[in-house]
Amino acid sequence: MRLFTTIMLLFVSFLSYSQQPEDFIPNSAISVFTINSGQVLQKISLDDLVKYDFMEDVQQELFDGSTSGKTLKESGINFDQKFNIFFGKGEKYEISGFTFGISSEDQLFEVFDDFEQQKSDYEGTEWYNSYFNHLIIKDKVGIMIRVSANYRIVRDFADSIWVTRGNKSSYYNDWYYNEGFDYIEEEVVEFTEEMEVETEENTSSPAQNEELPVAEEDPSQKTYFELRDSVEMVFNSVFLKEVLDDLLIAKNNRKKTTPILAKQLMREADGVFYFDNSKYNRHGSYSYRRPFYTNIYAFVDELYEENTIVGDIQINDGSIDLNVDANYNNKLGAIYEELSDAKFDKNVLKYIHKDNQGFFTYNIDVKKAYEKTVEIVMPILEETEGHKAMEWLILMDLFDEFANKDAIFKTYKGSMFGTFNGIKKVKTTKITYDYDEENFESTRKEVESEEDMPIFTFGFSTKNNAFSEKILKRIERLSRKEIYAKNGIWVVERGAMNSSDLYYILKNDLFIITNDEDLAMNHSEGYGKESLGKTLSKKAKKSKFLYGYSDLGKAIEELPRDLFSSRDNEILDAIKGKSGQVELSSTGIDTDKASFKMSYTFDGENEDVATYVLDLINSLYVNSK
Amino acid sequence: MKFFTYTIFPFLIFAFSACIEIIDDITINDDGSGTFKYTVNLSSSKVKINSILALDSLDGKKVPSLSEIQEKLHELSNSLRTKEGISNVDFHADYDNFIFKIKCDFTSLSLLQNAVEELAIKENKGVAIPELKKEWLTFENDSLVRSVPKITLIKAKKINKRDAELLKEGSYTSITRFQKVVDTFSNNSAKLSKNRKAVMVRTNPYLLIQNPQLVDNVIYLEEE
Repeated sequence: MRLFTTIMLLFVSFLSYSQQPEDFIPNSAISVFTINSGQVLQKISLDDLVKYDFMEDVQQELFDGSTSGKTLKESGINFDQKFNIFFGKGEKYEISGFTFGISSEDQLFEVFDDFEQQKSDYEGTEWYNSYFNHLIIKDKVGIMIRVSANYRIVRDFADSIWVTRGNKSSYYNDWYYNEGFDYIEEEVVEFTEEMEVETEENTSSPAQNEELPVAEEDPSQKTYFELRDSVEMVFNSVFLKEVLDDLLIAKNNRKKTTPILAKQLMREADGVFYFDNSKYNRHGSYSYRRPFYTNIYAFVDELYEENTIVGDIQINDGSIDLNVDANYNNKLGAIYEELSDAKFDKNVLKYIHKDNQGFFTYNIDVKKAYEKTVEIVMPILEETEGHKAMEWLILMDLFDEFANKDAIFKTYKGSMFGTFNGIKKVKTTKITYDYDEENFESTRKEVESEEDMPIFTFGFSTKNNAFSEKILKRIERLSRKEIYAKNGIWVVERGAMNSSDLYYILKNDLFIITNDEDLAMNHSEGYGKESLGKTLSKKAKKSKFLYGYSDLGKAIEELPRDLFSSRDNEILDAIKGKSGQVELSSTGIDTDKASFKMSYTFDGENEDVATYVLDLINSLYVNSK
Repeated sequence: MKFFTYTIFPFLIFAFSACIEIIDDITINDDGSGTFKYTVNLSSSKVKINSILALDSLDGKKVPSLSEIQEKLHELSNSLRTKEGISNVDFHADYDNFIFKIKCDFTSLSLLQNAVEELAIKENKGVAIPELKKEWLTFENDSLVRSVPKITLIKAKKINKRDAELLKEGSYTSITRFQKVVDTFSNNSAKLSKNRKAVMVRTNPYLLIQNPQLVDNVIYLEEE
């Protein structure tokens, strides 16, 4: 018995110390998406899976013919373990990839058949490469990773070598040194021996919208492109080593260094996600401006410190639920708390038809938010050095002193709503050409036509309708379009997309813009008994800050498909013909977090659940990039 | 000249692939000079275009603003003015109905093709387009041979199924005019005007991208 107990204890201790795929998420990951459920992944074909952005970014070269007709179930992936997708963007490089458990290496390499093994520098690991992707296997866990050096670093370094060799560079433009920047601080990357430039040509294509230096005529010399590709390859391998040294030697990983992620990973959900918004702000799309506005960005960083977004996805019988918490520090929290402390404007409910196909209500108090922002931001700006900070301070002082804030916030209080009421055929004209049989000379002819027009209504609360009306009267005299008042409603002829009329309704302390003639001409005081039902009205009121609802059964048929991407349209096609509702609500806002819930409820069985969940993850992934 | 569809107006075609009417009208004088007119009529899709213009991006691509489109089209017409053998360039855009017309005179078909090729290369970030090296319009010994460059086939493959369906609703009209009377022509779908000096082929953009040879024609003129 003692022996049995000892064996059991040893087994348990082995289990508790064996590393899981989530223990190999690199520390530089900014966003992490974890799929817990085999239910989600096993049904998905590999060919469908690779269409998602989160997979495509990592291994677009991997899945060729080897994936045809196969599901993930047959790919050697262990579905008893978590499948973690990660993405990160830093000052020097981007990383993307995923970690997963392996049940069969043989099956795995039937799919990943382009990978070639190489000697691993890390003890206890196997290393495989395919183009820019690297697969490291450790203790039955796969780490698929790609590390890409940031373009600016590669370009600057390649330029530097190029110019040193006596060539001419066309890059540094005057804007780089324009006035108004606090100061310029360029990152210095040390050129070490191991970064010796190689001659490999297999690199990604250069950015297209730039004029590049002319290549050398001498074939023994590298052209600019070849040089830049070589530099890129070297940097990629240096940064890959940096990431892997931290992960496999120093044993750091995102879960270990981020308790909020570790906690999130413990949740019993079908999928969880984590997004570090503070880091995203540092390294996002506009990070190239940072060197020029260091002080202002330091201020923004302070405001966004500890700003993370975590969430979980639950697949239930008849619904998929997404719960999201946006965590922030008490400075940002104080602003959000004031912002959301607004009284719900019941008048908006009068203008939402009970048979609408989708609507949202958004309820904030801009005046309170402004006052709190001034209270928090001004002291930070006071202590911030630099031109920009001073400019902001002066503007804020001037606004605070001279602007009539009461009038401004009386006109726009902050609450708004919008509805989509489907598509309506509208009369329009088109030009056609008729041809004379004698000589095929053409004659222009204007004929009546019909086009599909999305019917929408958008409105916001105001206590200053008289002012808005005064402005409209002025515009009437100025505008080249026909603007006139009819039964107390302002009509802008062909104001909606140059085709149908647009209406401005200034009633019930609301400023409403719509192209719905029926609402404008017959229901300008609201829909009365035909307005939104009690259940949804109650939910919108209760949600206060944000509420959105769409009856997919009705909306999908009539959504203006041309305005959605091909991928969105594929999803819409999948949902088409099924009944269901999507609901988004805010469930609470306080000083440290704001919580939201999104539910997709559907009637009966829905075989596309896995697709929806992956699409949801994909949307989150794309938005987090 | 369907080539224009894929170079000068790529955005209009692929992003606004709605009900589109394209008219390509070329007049060839006896000495090989002539006048080229090209019209893109999107007036049947005004609402759709205005809706798209209201967006920031579509299908992951930035939607240009109306002023950016205006600027680009004027830049192209100005660029065309500078080309050898090209004169009297007249560009007209009706932004209420989304009708774009360009007209120019040329001293020879080969110079017209050179001008188009140069514009296309400029738009292609300076990279040469080998398919355009081959002449697709020739006029010799009172016969005109016209075809469509292979580049259109390559571009056609990039149109997704949904957009292609929309192109079925459009129309493509190709007119070739002469000073002399037409004797015969090879394209069975082509139609001869009553005065026998103009040949017209009508199809829709979808069929054309499926089979670019639809507007190919060899036209023989009567000897005087």
